Amino acid sequence: MPQKLIVLRNCGVINPKDITTYLDRDGFKAFKKAIDELTCEQVTEEIKASGLRGRGGAGFPCGLKWDLARKAQGDEKYVICNADEGEVGTFKDRYILERDPFTLIEAMAIAGYAIGAKKGYIYLRAEYHHLDLLTDAIKQTREKGFLEHFDINIREGAGSYVCGEETALMDSIEGKRGEARYKPPFPPSRGLWEKPTIINNVETLMNIPQIILNGAHWFNQIGTDQSKGTKVFSVSGDVKKPGVYELELGSRLKELVEDLALAEKVKMVQVGGATGKIIPYEMIDTPLAFESILGAGAVTVFDETRDIVDVVYRSMEFLAEESCGKCAPCREGTEVIVEILERFCRGEGLEEDIEVLQRLASAMMLSSLCGLGQAAPIPVIDSLQYFRSAYENRIQKN
Amino acid sequence: MDEIIVTINGSQLRGSEGMTILEVAQENGIDIPTLCYKTELKPIGACRICVVEVEGSRTLVGSCHTPIAQGMVIHTHSPKVLETRKTIVELLLASHPDSCIICDKGNMCELRKIAADMEVALPPFKVRKRYYPIEDTSPYIVRDLSKCILCRRCVRSCSEIAEKNVFAVAYRGFKSKVVVDFDEPIDKEVCRDCDVCTRFCPTGALSKPREVGEEKKGEALFISG
Amino acid sequence: MNNGQEELLLLLQKAQNEFGYLSEESVAELAKSLALPISDIYGVATFYSFLSTKPLGRNVIRICKSMPCYLKNCQIIIDTVEKEIGIKPGETTPDGKFSFQLTNCIGACDKAPAMMINSDVYDDLTPGKISEILKACK
Ligand SMILES: Cc1cc2nc3c(=O)[nH]c(=O)nc-3n(C[C@H](O)[C@H](O)[C@H](O)COP(=O)(O)O)c2cc1C
Ligand code: SF4
Ligand code: SF4
Ligand code: FES
Repeated sequence: MPQKLIVLRNCGVINPKDITTYLDRDGFKAFKKAIDELTCEQVTEEIKASGLRGRGGAGFPCGLKWDLARKAQGDEKYVICNADEGEVGTFKDRYILERDPFTLIEAMAIAGYAIGAKKGYIYLRAEYHHLDLLTDAIKQTREKGFLEHFDINIREGAGSYVCGEETALMDSIEGKRGEARYKPPFPPSRGLWEKPTIINNVETLMNIPQIILNGAHWFNQIGTDQSKGTKVFSVSGDVKKPGVYELELGSRLKELVEDLALAEKVKMVQVGGATGKIIPYEMIDTPLAFESILGAGAVTVFDETRDIVDVVYRSMEFLAEESCGKCAPCREGTEVIVEILERFCRGEGLEEDIEVLQRLASAMMLSSLCGLGQAAPIPVIDSLQYFRSAYENRIQKN
Repeated sequence: MDEIIVTINGSQLRGSEGMTILEVAQENGIDIPTLCYKTELKPIGACRICVVEVEGSRTLVGSCHTPIAQGMVIHTHSPKVLETRKTIVELLLASHPDSCIICDKGNMCELRKIAADMEVALPPFKVRKRYYPIEDTSPYIVRDLSKCILCRRCVRSCSEIAEKNVFAVAYRGFKSKVVVDFDEPIDKEVCRDCDVCTRFCPTGALSKPREVGEEKKGEALFISG
Repeated sequence: MNNGQEELLLLLQKAQNEFGYLSEESVAELAKSLALPISDIYGVATFYSFLSTKPLGRNVIRICKSMPCYLKNCQIIIDTVEKEIGIKPGETTPDGKFSFQLTNCIGACDKAPAMMINSDVYDDLTPGKISEILKACK
């Protein structure tokens, strides 16, 4: 299957520093169509009917989220674009922001209209401070009169992965420590400053203008049963052509990794960053979709020279460093697992460690407060399932 | 107020809109352990000891902050729940010092009580201990943060009840710590005649300095057991 | 909503950019002007890895150590920088020119190994490129 460009259709085509090149590519037509021809409800209905699901990792139906926020009572409402992109091995949002900031701005303006918000935020990770063309793009859009009823502010992060989690992100915009909040209440009813809020990933929003212009039915034809549209993947690691690829959902991992990124002698692929599932080479035909594997689309490829225990250890070390520390299972659990895996890396595993790992993994997944702690054990569980002997070989014999 | 009917451990129970699972359970004599939760304070859902199973939910949910919904089917003591709670207690004990026997609050410690109730013995794993020097310069409070389980009851009670905002949480992850000002030993005049946080602390991390020969105060938790 | 709180992170970022770190004086000043307890501000300041309560050098080097860069042998870049400026990760040169840190994924994995110096990203690094990049730092 060749690449299919919906999200990236303007990347490399328009000049990201010049709004007129965007206007020449149907820029802001969807926005005009929405406010001139559609009611707020029709906009959310269209998004619902399209089947668009969130691209930030969780895959929540976008239209449903918008509809909840639209119906929620509130004197003020907010639209947030999540450009925190902290998942290890993801860079597609940066790629998009560098090349086509205008589609994102148009989508946020449509979202603002749909839910009745006057203010939007783009939460940009500190590591992307260099993307100042985004500020300029907002300015140009304002000057063209497209942001009269809805304004957009950029808020920068300050170095924290968990701030990509939606409630931690909101606490961070509120000027606090970026710690997760319990849910419910969910953001569409009580989000930023307790007001109805929708928060969407950059890539999710990038789909909106095309859906409004071409209709839900057009979008609905693309992809699989439960995964409509395309997905933008960030491929890195042991491949000849790392980079950003947009594929129809349901495409096989093999096409992406071997045919497009030109990987050879693949041992395994981690899909979804440090908390991502580990796919052994035997399963390289797995389709990329919400039904199977996806995450935010980080695809890290490992060749036959790589050591699975080392990989899992490093993933867990990352998560322990980035845990916000609020809830006990994640704060303590990541640390204990790091301690155990570090011993395995040295060949000093204990017989009982494997059972302990499984117990910790289960408790963390079931009881952690947010997605970080809930997903942290996934690489541990997957590696124990597919590469168990790698662990067993490092159990100390006395 | 709308009446909401839920099923807890097989019994149909009534609650009203806005009540949490924990509140309904407590009203009906069902004992769910809690650590970070206190009726007088806003819930934060940090310790996760109070998790319960709600049918249809992918994960367990914190009962101290999750409101009931019509028709919810809840299990507060299923094997999955008990196993998870037990592991969390073990995690808290793993980084906790082994000095219970000489701890001034040993007989009142809620962590020990919960561990005893759930028959948690020594954790089957190791992790580095959090070692902090004892802070005993204040005439009003002694802090031994090696024993802190980061439930934040001190932070919240000081701000919500005493309204003095002495504490905050600093750093992150395993290194998280309850700090005073620039992470200094506690020695604040506002703490005089207060005693709020020391009463709220579930462990031996916060206590009042003991006069020589003074009796240990507080109800003992291990009389029945 | 406490307006002071909303401003806090923005002002901390500003102070960090201006003075290179968050001194006790600047935190105390913020506490006064925003009417927030010092402990709260310290709590926020120590949560984020790009904020520092200790003085940093004029040029903060952050080498990415996360998986994609690790696979592309970031260790050799780390070693080269260490040799060039004579300090280890976590340290600052005595002349205050450089601070050296290891950081988590900076989103440049397609061009790994990568690093940041202040807010600029340098990617596709090789040991050979390092000394030139460092020479250009003021
Ligand atoms: C630890 C953690 C980190 C996350 N980081 C990001 C991120 O960097 N970008 C993002 O869009 N979503 C991230 N998410 C997912 C968000 O919580 C949220 O689901 C998403 O922004 C919703 O947008 P969507 O529905 O458009 O995907 C993260 C979640 C967790 C648990
Ligand atoms: S799961 Fe981890 S990151 Fe999330 S709230 Fe708990 S400690 Fe914080
Ligand atoms: S000092 Fe006590 S009350 Fe405060 S967080 Fe620690 S254990 Fe909880
Ligand atoms: S008592 Fe509910 S999370 Fe701590």
